[in-house]
Amino acid sequence: MDLDELKYQLNYRLATDHADRSATDIASLLSKKTNSLIGKLKKSLWIEIGFCVLIMLLFLLIGFSSPYQSLQIYFSVFAVVALLFLIILVYLLRRTSQISSNIQMPVKTNLKTIVSIIEEFMKRYFQFTMALIPICFIFSFLLGYNEPRQIPELDKIVLPIFSARWQVLLFAFLYMGLLTVGVYYFTKWYLRKLYGNYIEQLKQCIRELGDEETAI
Amino acid sequence: MAASSEFITLLNQHQKILYKVCNLYMDQHADREDLFQEITLQAWKAYANFRGDAKFSTWLYRVALNTAITFFRKEKRKPDIYTTDSLPDQPMDQPDPIEEQLKIMYAAIGQLSKIDKALVMLYLEDYNYQEIGEMMGITANNVAVKMNRIKTKLKEETKNQVANQ
Repeated sequence: MDLDELKYQLNYRLATDHADRSATDIASLLSKKTNSLIGKLKKSLWIEIGFCVLIMLLFLLIGFSSPYQSLQIYFSVFAVVALLFLIILVYLLRRTSQISSNIQMPVKTNLKTIVSIIEEFMKRYFQFTMALIPICFIFSFLLGYNEPRQIPELDKIVLPIFSARWQVLLFAFLYMGLLTVGVYYFTKWYLRKLYGNYIEQLKQCIRELGDEETAI
Repeated sequence: MAASSEFITLLNQHQKILYKVCNLYMDQHADREDLFQEITLQAWKAYANFRGDAKFSTWLYRVALNTAITFFRKEKRKPDIYTTDSLPDQPMDQPDPIEEQLKIMYAAIGQLSKIDKALVMLYLEDYNYQEIGEMMGITANNVAVKMNRIKTKLKEETKNQVANQ
């Protein structure tokens, strides 16, 4: 059985459908929500942008209202870090929006664009998450040690548990190490779970579109 | 508002393209409905960029194929199993002698990869290799090689299907 023998009949049959849609049916589809992964990525970026703005405002508020100098510096610096993250998110959102115009591009170009955008999203997300850990710890240490005022709330927690300074330091380093390793593997696993399988499918399609001219 | 009514009219005239893509990429009715909706939405979002340099049908094929290839079902209802019964029914007054052959060929196409299905789709639509290459982003020679390979694969697959019946 040959594809060419059945070409016209098959083309005709594939065009048939049980529900022939009217113009009204099509119009009603235009207001529906997209189910594509790119649509979900955009939605997730919008949520993160909103969350980032909230965090930035909250940190600024704490930074300006706290009586402790260390907390003022800590939260003000992290408000700036949140602003940097916000810039990255807006940039990624703009890149993701480009896909709407790429959908009319040749299949291979479109696939490559989607893969590069998702990979960039994963890369930036990972870099930012990992960069936050040392920034967070270094600031905590520096500012905690140089705080001119006593923080009674902190003393209530630390003093009953630790009797010497070296114990506090050992605990802090162990905690920092374990958290860094945990966050590293968790973020990698989480991003791979969300996008890894999809990216692999798209890359497989790109590989299939590879040049086979030499095979002639 | 004028753009939306113009788009709806054009899409209504060319909706058979969407049926073809949905019927070729999905074997279950609910999945075909989801894909039809997704292609319509993506086409509407991209319509502002349609300048009319190409025919609307060619533009719609690109949008539909790009959407179908990158369409991702998070919750799979059940695995795609293209059977000879998955081909949309056709009301007929009398039995069609090639009906069985069509169903077998459809089931064989269902076993192809997403990229190969796109090539078959455009080939069935009578686009030449140059045009198919432009839509897929590959050379005409590459299309020719792939089409030969696909035809051979389909011939073997249909032979197996007939033997198993």
